[in-house]
Amino acid sequence: MGGHSNWPEWIYVGIVIALMTWVGAEAWEAERLVEHVPEDVEIIKVTGQQWFWTFEHEDGTKEIGELHVEAGKAYKFEVMAKDVNHSFNIHDYVVLIDAIPGRVNTVWFAPDAPGVHDIQCREYCGLIHYNMRGTLYVEEPSS
Amino acid sequence: MKWMLGLFLVMAVLVIIPALESAFAAGDEPGEYLDRRVIIWNLFFRMMTVAFTVGAVVSGTIIWLVWRFRESHPKAKPTPYEGTDW
Repeated sequence: MGGHSNWPEWIYVGIVIALMTWVGAEAWEAERLVEHVPEDVEIIKVTGQQWFWTFEHEDGTKEIGELHVEAGKAYKFEVMAKDVNHSFNIHDYVVLIDAIPGRVNTVWFAPDAPGVHDIQCREYCGLIHYNMRGTLYVEEPSS
Repeated sequence: MKWMLGLFLVMAVLVIIPALESAFAAGDEPGEYLDRRVIIWNLFFRMMTVAFTVGAVVSGTIIWLVWRFRESHPKAKPTPYEGTDW
């Protein structure tokens, strides 16, 4: 250690620590925002099973393979599985959460415009996994 | 070593504490409507900016080191090995 200066190393260590802290805080903040559920959210129960998706709205309405929601409202999915692990994905809205037997995972989203979007399973779940798809219909607000 | 403590204090005030504060600012109040795509893409964009900047600085430093300390560099000096008489 004697005889030469090592300040560049310490600056380097400081920069690395600061960067890692910043990266961690940014990611934490984004996760907090994304997981912060609005008060008036509507809950939709999502069940994955080989090889289709079932949706149950708050009023008891059930849908299979199709999900109808309204633009401008927030929805929270309570995702579960009946048989093996699946993963619920609405690619266009960056919704992705595992569906695990015996466990309820939640994710929420607020579609902003009417449209039709794909729903698909993102966890290999058997022979017909590739075709475990659904369709999300985002409709005009009713009121 | 005192200056080092000072350096860390400055870094803490400038970077670390504000970053932690923004993360701890979470409340229990209900969240607002937001677009996941925007939040997630922005995070990805910022992280990639940092990653590529750091990558450029690190690889630039390595390239400079290799270039500057090659044997054939005009200012190259042999390493004073022990037991030799350079």
